[in-house]
Amino acid sequence: MKISTRGQYGLEALIGLALKSTSTPVSLKSITSDCGLSESYILQIFLMLKKAGILTSVRGAQGGYMLSREPSQISVRQVLEAVEGPLAPVSCIVDDCNDPCGRYKMCAARLLWEKVKKRMDSLVDSITLADLVENVYAVDARENPDYSI
Amino acid sequence: MKISTKGRYGLRAMLDLAVFSDGEHVSLSCIAERQRISVNYLEQVFSSLRKAGFVKSIKGAQGGYALTEEPSEISVGSILRALEGELAVVDKRDSGRKSLIQLCLNEFVWERMNDCLNEVVDSITLEDLACDYRRINGLDAIMYHI
Repeated sequence: MKISTRGQYGLEALIGLALKSTSTPVSLKSITSDCGLSESYILQIFLMLKKAGILTSVRGAQGGYMLSREPSQISVRQVLEAVEGPLAPVSCIVDDCNDPCGRYKMCAARLLWEKVKKRMDSLVDSITLADLVENVYAVDARENPDYSI
Repeated sequence: MKISTKGRYGLRAMLDLAVFSDGEHVSLSCIAERQRISVNYLEQVFSSLRKAGFVKSIKGAQGGYALTEEPSEISVGSILRALEGELAVVDKRDSGRKSLIQLCLNEFVWERMNDCLNEVVDSITLEDLACDYRRINGLDAIMYHI
Protein backbone atom coordinates (compact mmCIF):
# COMPACT_ATOMS: atom_id res chain seq x y z
CA MET A 1 0.00 0.00 0.00
CA LYS A 2 2.46 2.58 -1.20
CA ILE A 3 2.52 5.98 -2.82
CA SER A 4 5.33 5.80 -5.37
CA THR A 5 8.09 8.37 -5.81
CA ARG A 6 5.97 9.88 -8.61
CA GLY A 7 3.37 10.95 -6.10
CA GLN A 8 5.92 11.94 -3.49
CA TYR A 9 8.18 13.99 -5.77
CA GLY A 10 5.18 15.41 -7.62
CA LEU A 11 3.76 16.92 -4.44
CA GLU A 12 7.21 18.06 -3.37
CA ALA A 13 7.79 19.88 -6.66
CA LEU A 14 4.32 21.46 -6.63
CA ILE A 15 4.91 22.85 -3.15
CA GLY A 16 8.30 24.09 -4.35
CA LEU A 17 6.60 25.82 -7.25
CA ALA A 18 3.85 27.32 -5.09
CA LEU A 19 6.46 28.67 -2.67
CA LYS A 20 8.21 30.48 -5.53
CA SER A 21 5.25 32.01 -7.28
CA THR A 22 1.57 31.44 -7.89
CA SER A 23 1.22 34.14 -10.55
CA THR A 24 4.25 33.94 -12.83
CA PRO A 25 5.84 30.99 -14.62
CA VAL A 26 8.61 29.24 -12.72
CA SER A 27 11.37 27.36 -14.56
CA LEU A 28 11.66 23.65 -14.02
CA LYS A 29 15.34 24.05 -13.18
CA SER A 30 14.76 26.46 -10.35
CA ILE A 31 12.25 24.10 -8.74
CA THR A 32 14.31 20.95 -9.11
CA SER A 33 17.57 22.51 -7.99
CA ASP A 34 15.92 23.84 -4.83
CA CYS A 35 14.33 20.49 -4.04
CA GLY A 36 17.27 18.35 -5.17
CA LEU A 37 15.07 16.41 -7.57
CA SER A 38 15.94 15.05 -11.01
CA GLU A 39 14.88 17.45 -13.76
CA SER A 40 13.95 14.76 -16.28
CA TYR A 41 11.85 12.86 -13.73
CA ILE A 42 9.99 15.99 -12.62
CA LEU A 43 9.41 16.89 -16.27
CA GLN A 44 7.63 13.54 -16.75
CA ILE A 45 5.53 14.17 -13.65
CA PHE A 46 4.75 17.77 -14.68
CA LEU A 47 3.49 16.54 -18.06
CA MET A 48 1.02 14.33 -16.22
CA LEU A 49 -0.03 17.22 -13.99
CA LYS A 50 -0.45 19.39 -17.07
CA LYS A 51 -2.63 16.77 -18.71
CA ALA A 52 -4.73 16.65 -15.55
CA GLY A 53 -5.21 20.42 -15.73
CA ILE A 54 -3.29 21.20 -12.56
CA LEU A 55 -0.34 22.91 -14.28
CA THR A 56 -0.03 25.07 -17.36
CA SER A 57 3.21 25.70 -19.19
CA VAL A 58 4.38 28.94 -20.74
CA ARG A 59 6.91 28.89 -23.55
CA GLY A 60 9.72 31.35 -24.12
CA ALA A 61 12.61 32.92 -22.28
CA GLN A 62 10.48 33.85 -19.28
CA GLY A 63 8.57 30.61 -19.57
CA GLY A 64 8.08 27.74 -17.19
CA TYR A 65 5.27 26.19 -15.23
CA MET A 66 2.36 27.74 -13.37
CA LEU A 67 -0.46 26.38 -11.28
CA SER A 68 -3.70 26.43 -13.27
CA ARG A 69 -5.67 27.60 -10.26
CA GLU A 70 -5.24 28.87 -6.72
CA PRO A 71 -3.34 26.50 -4.39
CA SER A 72 -6.45 26.38 -2.21
CA GLN A 73 -8.31 24.87 -5.18
CA ILE A 74 -5.82 22.05 -5.69
CA SER A 75 -6.25 19.06 -3.40
CA VAL A 76 -3.66 16.44 -2.54
CA ARG A 77 -6.10 13.88 -3.93
CA GLN A 78 -6.18 15.57 -7.34
CA VAL A 79 -2.39 15.61 -7.48
CA LEU A 80 -1.92 12.02 -6.33
CA GLU A 81 -4.62 10.68 -8.64
CA ALA A 82 -3.16 12.56 -11.59
CA VAL A 83 0.21 10.86 -11.23
CA GLU A 84 -0.63 7.61 -9.39
CA GLY A 85 -4.14 6.76 -10.53
CA PRO A 86 -6.89 6.05 -8.00
CA LEU A 87 -5.67 5.49 -4.44
CA ALA A 88 -6.86 1.94 -3.94
CA PRO A 89 -5.43 -0.70 -1.61
CA VAL A 90 -6.58 -3.37 -4.09
CA SER A 91 -7.25 -2.97 -7.80
CA CYS A 92 -10.62 -4.72 -8.02
CA ILE A 93 -12.50 -1.83 -6.36
CA VAL A 94 -11.45 0.75 -8.93
CA ASP A 95 -14.14 1.65 -11.46
CA ASP A 96 -12.19 0.79 -14.59
CA CYS A 97 -10.77 -2.49 -13.26
CA ASN A 98 -10.65 -4.74 -16.30
CA ASP A 99 -10.11 -7.94 -14.41
CA PRO A 100 -12.34 -8.22 -11.34
CA CYS A 101 -12.22 -11.76 -10.01
CA GLY A 102 -15.21 -14.10 -10.31
CA ARG A 103 -15.85 -13.89 -6.58
CA TYR A 104 -16.29 -10.13 -6.65
CA LYS A 105 -19.94 -10.04 -5.62
CA MET A 106 -19.51 -12.38 -2.65
CA CYS A 107 -16.23 -10.97 -1.41
CA ALA A 108 -16.48 -9.50 2.07
CA ALA A 109 -12.88 -8.30 2.00
CA ARG A 110 -13.87 -5.98 -0.85
CA LEU A 111 -16.17 -4.12 1.55
CA LEU A 112 -13.20 -3.55 3.84
CA TRP A 113 -11.02 -2.24 1.03
CA GLU A 114 -13.81 0.06 -0.13
CA LYS A 115 -14.07 1.47 3.38
CA VAL A 116 -10.29 2.05 3.47
CA LYS A 117 -10.38 3.80 0.10
CA LYS A 118 -13.28 6.01 1.10
CA ARG A 119 -11.57 7.18 4.28
CA MET A 120 -8.24 7.79 2.56
CA ASP A 121 -9.94 9.64 -0.30
CA SER A 122 -11.79 11.96 2.03
CA LEU A 123 -8.58 12.67 3.98
CA VAL A 124 -6.56 13.65 0.91
CA ASP A 125 -9.57 15.52 -0.48
CA SER A 126 -9.48 17.72 2.58
CA ILE A 127 -5.81 18.75 2.28
CA THR A 128 -5.01 21.45 -0.27
CA LEU A 129 -1.76 22.74 -1.70
CA ALA A 130 -2.42 25.98 0.19
CA ASP A 131 -2.54 24.03 3.48
CA LEU A 132 0.79 22.43 2.63
CA VAL A 133 2.45 25.74 1.79
CA GLU A 134 1.21 27.19 5.07
CA ASN A 135 2.52 24.13 6.86
CA VAL A 136 5.97 24.58 5.30
CA TYR A 137 6.14 28.03 6.92
CA ALA A 138 4.96 26.58 10.23
CA VAL A 139 7.54 23.79 10.10
CA ASP A 140 10.21 26.34 9.15
CA ALA A 141 9.34 28.51 12.14
CA ARG A 142 9.49 25.50 14.42
CA GLU A 143 12.70 23.99 13.02
CA ASN A 144 14.59 27.29 12.69
CA PRO A 145 13.39 29.36 15.66
CA ASP A 146 16.46 31.64 15.69
CA TYR A 147 16.40 32.41 12.03
CA SER A 148 15.05 35.86 11.33
CA ILE A 149 14.35 37.01 7.80
CA MET B 1 -0.79 1.99 -3.03
CA LYS B 2 -1.54 -1.70 -2.95
CA ILE B 3 -1.86 -4.47 -0.38
CA SER B 4 0.19 -7.48 -1.52
CA THR B 5 -1.24 -10.85 -2.51
CA LYS B 6 -0.03 -12.25 0.80
CA GLY B 7 -2.05 -9.70 2.74
CA ARG B 8 -5.16 -10.12 0.61
CA TYR B 9 -5.12 -13.93 0.55
CA GLY B 10 -4.14 -14.16 4.21
CA LEU B 11 -7.10 -12.02 5.19
CA ARG B 12 -9.46 -14.15 3.10
CA ALA B 13 -8.08 -17.33 4.65
CA MET B 14 -8.62 -15.95 8.16
CA LEU B 15 -12.10 -14.89 7.15
CA ASP B 16 -12.84 -18.38 5.82
CA LEU B 17 -11.78 -19.87 9.15
CA ALA B 18 -13.93 -17.38 11.04
CA VAL B 19 -17.00 -18.28 8.98
CA PHE B 20 -16.59 -22.02 8.57
CA SER B 21 -14.47 -23.39 11.42
CA ASP B 22 -17.13 -23.47 14.15
CA GLY B 23 -14.55 -24.63 16.68
CA GLU B 24 -13.30 -27.43 14.43
CA HIS B 25 -10.07 -27.54 12.49
CA VAL B 26 -10.43 -26.76 8.80
CA SER B 27 -8.20 -28.39 6.20
CA LEU B 28 -6.19 -26.24 3.83
CA SER B 29 -7.76 -27.98 0.85
CA CYS B 30 -11.27 -26.90 1.99
CA ILE B 31 -10.13 -23.30 2.32
CA ALA B 32 -8.31 -23.51 -0.99
CA GLU B 33 -11.42 -24.77 -2.76
CA ARG B 34 -13.81 -22.25 -1.24
CA GLN B 35 -11.48 -19.31 -1.72
CA ARG B 36 -9.97 -20.44 -5.02
CA ILE B 37 -6.46 -20.00 -3.71
CA SER B 38 -3.78 -22.63 -4.38
CA VAL B 39 -2.88 -24.96 -1.47
CA ASN B 40 0.78 -24.20 -2.05
CA TYR B 41 0.25 -20.51 -1.58
CA LEU B 42 -2.00 -21.05 1.42
CA GLU B 43 0.73 -23.09 3.09
CA GLN B 44 3.08 -20.12 2.93
CA VAL B 45 0.42 -17.74 4.20
CA PHE B 46 -0.52 -20.05 7.08
CA SER B 47 3.07 -20.43 8.11
CA SER B 48 3.18 -16.65 8.65
CA LEU B 49 -0.21 -16.65 10.37
CA ARG B 50 0.92 -19.42 12.71
CA LYS B 51 4.16 -17.64 13.58
CA ALA B 52 2.11 -14.57 14.41
CA GLY B 53 -0.06 -16.67 16.71
CA PHE B 54 -3.37 -16.24 14.88
CA VAL B 55 -3.89 -19.92 14.02
CA LYS B 56 -2.97 -23.30 15.47
CA SER B 57 -2.65 -26.51 13.50
CA ILE B 58 -3.38 -30.17 14.14
CA LYS B 59 -1.81 -32.89 12.04
CA GLY B 60 -3.53 -36.01 10.79
CA ALA B 61 -6.70 -37.00 9.01
CA GLN B 62 -8.97 -34.67 10.97
CA GLY B 63 -6.26 -32.07 11.06
CA GLY B 64 -6.14 -28.56 9.76
CA TYR B 65 -6.14 -25.07 11.11
CA ALA B 66 -8.25 -23.20 13.65
CA LEU B 67 -8.18 -19.66 15.02
CA THR B 68 -6.51 -19.23 18.40
CA GLU B 69 -8.87 -16.43 19.43
CA GLU B 70 -12.47 -15.43 18.89
CA PRO B 71 -12.94 -13.55 15.59
CA SER B 72 -14.32 -10.62 17.60
CA GLU B 73 -10.94 -10.36 19.38
CA ILE B 74 -8.87 -10.19 16.18
CA SER B 75 -8.58 -6.87 14.38
CA VAL B 76 -8.11 -6.80 10.65
CA GLY B 77 -5.21 -4.40 11.23
CA SER B 78 -3.28 -6.92 13.32
CA ILE B 79 -3.67 -9.58 10.60
CA LEU B 80 -2.54 -7.22 7.84
CA ARG B 81 0.44 -5.99 9.84
CA ALA B 82 1.51 -9.58 10.57
CA LEU B 83 1.48 -10.35 6.84
CA GLU B 84 2.57 -7.03 5.35
CA GLY B 85 4.70 -5.40 8.02
CA GLU B 86 3.93 -1.85 9.14
CA LEU B 87 1.13 -0.36 7.07
CA ALA B 88 2.58 2.84 5.68
CA VAL B 89 1.86 4.69 2.45
CA VAL B 90 5.45 5.69 1.76
CA ASP B 91 8.73 3.86 2.34
CA LYS B 92 11.05 5.52 4.79
CA ARG B 93 13.80 7.31 2.87
CA ASP B 94 16.95 7.38 4.94
CA SER B 95 18.57 10.08 2.87
CA GLY B 96 19.86 11.96 5.86
CA ARG B 97 18.58 15.44 6.49
CA LYS B 98 15.13 16.14 5.17
CA SER B 99 14.16 19.35 3.45
CA LEU B 100 11.45 21.54 4.94
CA ILE B 101 9.06 20.45 2.22
CA GLN B 102 9.73 16.78 2.96
CA LEU B 103 9.25 17.33 6.69
CA CYS B 104 5.98 19.07 5.96
CA LEU B 105 4.75 16.31 3.64
CA ASN B 106 5.71 13.68 6.19
CA GLU B 107 3.77 15.12 9.04
CA PHE B 108 0.92 16.72 7.14
CA VAL B 109 0.21 14.09 4.49
CA TRP B 110 1.99 10.74 4.78
CA GLU B 111 1.70 10.26 8.53
CA ARG B 112 -1.92 11.33 8.51
CA MET B 113 -2.60 8.84 5.71
CA ASN B 114 -0.82 6.14 7.73
CA ASP B 115 -2.88 6.98 10.81
CA CYS B 116 -6.09 6.95 8.79
CA LEU B 117 -5.25 3.60 7.22
CA ASN B 118 -4.34 1.97 10.53
CA GLU B 119 -7.35 3.47 12.26
CA VAL B 120 -9.78 1.99 9.73
CA VAL B 121 -8.30 -1.51 9.76
CA ASP B 122 -7.93 -1.52 13.54
CA SER B 123 -11.57 -0.57 14.01
CA ILE B 124 -12.79 -3.60 12.06
CA THR B 125 -12.64 -7.10 13.54
CA LEU B 126 -12.59 -10.43 11.80
CA GLU B 127 -16.08 -10.98 13.21
CA ASP B 128 -17.32 -7.83 11.44
CA LEU B 129 -16.00 -9.21 8.16
CA ALA B 130 -17.49 -12.63 8.91
CA CYS B 131 -20.91 -11.00 9.40
CA ASP B 132 -20.54 -9.27 6.02
CA TYR B 133 -19.48 -12.54 4.45
CA ARG B 134 -22.52 -14.42 5.81
CA ARG B 135 -24.82 -11.63 4.71
CA ILE B 136 -23.54 -11.31 1.13
CA ASN B 137 -23.41 -15.05 0.67
CA GLY B 138 -26.85 -15.68 2.13
CA LEU B 139 -25.44 -17.85 4.92
CA ASP B 140 -27.55 -16.16 7.65
CA ALA B 141 -30.65 -18.08 6.68
CA ILE B 142 -28.87 -21.42 6.58
CA MET B 143 -27.38 -20.89 10.03
CA TYR B 144 -30.89 -20.56 11.46
CA HIS B 145 -31.93 -23.98 10.26
CA ILE B 146 -29.06 -25.84 11.86
